[in-house]
Amino acid sequence: MLFENMAMAFSAIRANKMRSFLTMLGIIIGIGSVISIVSIGDTMRSLFSDLYKNVGITQAYISIGYWVDDVRQSDYFTLDELERVKEIFGDDITYIDSSAATSAEAIYKRTTVNFDYTGVDYNYIDVQPVDIVYGRYLNEGDILGRRKNVVMDVDSAQMLFGEENAVGKTFRTTIYGDTDTYTVVGVYKEEMNAFQALMMGGGAKDRGSAFIPYTILTWPNDYFYYLRLYASEDIDFSQFMTKLTAYVAKSKGRDPADFRTVTAMDEMTQVDSMMGGLSAAVGGIAAISLLVGGIGIMNIMLVSVTERTREIGIRKSLGAKTRDIMIQFLTESAILSACGGIIGILIGVGLVSLGGMALGVGAVVKPGVIIMAVSFSALVGIFFGIYPASKAAKADPIDALRYE
Amino acid sequence: MKTLSLTWKKRKIPSYLTENVSEDLIVLENLVKIYDTGLIKVLGLKKINLTIKRGEFVAIMGKSGSGKSTLMNILGCLDRPTLGHYYLDGIDTASMNPNELSEIRNFKIGFVFQSFNLISRTSALKNVELPMTYAKKGKKERRERAMELLKRVGLESRADHMPNELSGGQRQRVAIARALANEPPLILADEPTGNLDTAASEEIMQLFSDLHKEGATVVVVTHEENIAAFTDRIVRFQDGVIISDTYRKKEDGERSLQTAQTEQLAEELWAARPDGLREGEAARPDGLREGKAARPDDLREREAAKTDHMGMPAGIAGTDDLREQGRDSRPGKEDPHVV
Repeated sequence: MLFENMAMAFSAIRANKMRSFLTMLGIIIGIGSVISIVSIGDTMRSLFSDLYKNVGITQAYISIGYWVDDVRQSDYFTLDELERVKEIFGDDITYIDSSAATSAEAIYKRTTVNFDYTGVDYNYIDVQPVDIVYGRYLNEGDILGRRKNVVMDVDSAQMLFGEENAVGKTFRTTIYGDTDTYTVVGVYKEEMNAFQALMMGGGAKDRGSAFIPYTILTWPNDYFYYLRLYASEDIDFSQFMTKLTAYVAKSKGRDPADFRTVTAMDEMTQVDSMMGGLSAAVGGIAAISLLVGGIGIMNIMLVSVTERTREIGIRKSLGAKTRDIMIQFLTESAILSACGGIIGILIGVGLVSLGGMALGVGAVVKPGVIIMAVSFSALVGIFFGIYPASKAAKADPIDALRYE
Repeated sequence: MKTLSLTWKKRKIPSYLTENVSEDLIVLENLVKIYDTGLIKVLGLKKINLTIKRGEFVAIMGKSGSGKSTLMNILGCLDRPTLGHYYLDGIDTASMNPNELSEIRNFKIGFVFQSFNLISRTSALKNVELPMTYAKKGKKERRERAMELLKRVGLESRADHMPNELSGGQRQRVAIARALANEPPLILADEPTGNLDTAASEEIMQLFSDLHKEGATVVVVTHEENIAAFTDRIVRFQDGVIISDTYRKKEDGERSLQTAQTEQLAEELWAARPDGLREGEAARPDGLREGKAARPDDLREREAAKTDHMGMPAGIAGTDDLREQGRDSRPGKEDPHVV
């Protein structure tokens, strides 16, 4: 019987192709926009989540809180303290440095390029992997000896030296007022998609970037404001952060509440919930168009019921019950709406995929969204079909048979 | 008359729908239909008493407005009487709700309409299957039975044709096949040849004749004498009352007696009618009141007509026109349509 009803519904929809399509259009646009908006939101969320994974999900900064008024010299960190933290937390910390970075002009012969220097430890490559294409990464000796060695990326090498393999080349730069000659010991390459490049600031191709020993950047007074670290991924991160904050506070004779921690995880959660909220809100607005589509379906079903009054009369005279007629017309409006929904999904997914391809990022279309869209559009069809269907079902067989 | 108690269960087909209960397929008892137009009440049927036995082939005749369409609607369970009872195969239809009436129509009645009333954009086969679909029969069973029926009406080669690809006569044959789908005890045809040419009309009536010979009960509503001539019994209506009821094959004398008895009973019941009806009657327009006023005279004349050899109360209508009609309808050797 269900199959019969569906066959009848399809034949009725086919009989008025143009009208059916125009009716569906409301649902197509509604579902299409909901799917695109929700998928764009999901894609953005996944991009951000990738970004944070790239940065390192267990990355954390700790520093004296900006709200603390009586900041003392001892609230800053020293290299000795950093070493002590490393010893105490052992394997719980996979990487730690002073989170130092600076910008300066690099001069090679007649070429001057603005460079962003990031001060890192020799094992930074373990938490932020890069491909070393020429030479080597910074080693322990570079760090401990505060050697003026750098590892720069291929594009920067190309800019400054006019060639990618710049290993062994030297250039002059001024860091914290101290002009000196630095040697390139390695050249690396980092793969980033368009979005990551944009978010990491790598989009600007007129600046160079290089890693230098962080110990150079703590020079000359060896006090620094932040501890930057990566926790091991095997441990309970929030518990670790509590322990770390407690330890740091105790060593400085302060309350743990005086210290500020910034973790990638917190930020990611924040951004994710913000994006989620945003896409839900915009998706909700788009869903209003579904309501409009539903009203379109109700309208056309009412027309259809009036047009087919005689058919209803015939069916009733042949033994169709109220319920049979009701189900027939409900099936028709549900199918009309679901077809619109399916076309809408194809269009929405198509648009998002095209956009993703154009931007070079993988579009995320969750199956849940599709299932929700189809069932919602069918529900819209059923809801807005109830009134026309009951109108059809209640028709008096004599009047209906006499209807011209 | 046996009235069945109804126990209603969802999805289970009550036995009274599938079993043949009564030898008297149609029994109308003091059937009254009043149309309330708001301003006035119009008597559509005035206390009709009629019995049609299983296997009869009956024509119901009358002019437009005579009440034959009203009777048709009630016989077809599309409408309910205002007063009185209609027993279809022993089932008192007056007490049924619209869904129960749908089931009665589905199992007990096969409709054939003047305008064919096939579902458009639906193949002949699917049209024939439709009543079986509503009877919740299996797909395979439906298909086989529908094919068999199309074969029976000579249209098996047109099974996949849409109604608009068929001629009028073919459409009506599909409609007849559809009417037979659930093997209903009653075939009810409303002006079945009204939209057909002479040849097709003859074909369709021949089909009804054949069905009747195979044991079906066929009731044809018509205003055409030559169509009615195919049947064995003609019931004539005028102004909402039966003015004659004649059998063609039975002895005329026997028939007259039965008619008289029926009418005598009717008169008694009419006299004992509820007051409400009497008031409604008073509100009738002049035309109807005239009809009523003419009634006693009619009966008096009808009494006189008992001895009339014409086999029907010729004087009742009091007009030459009707007398003429009556004469035409009489079976006679000169009638070309005698089967």
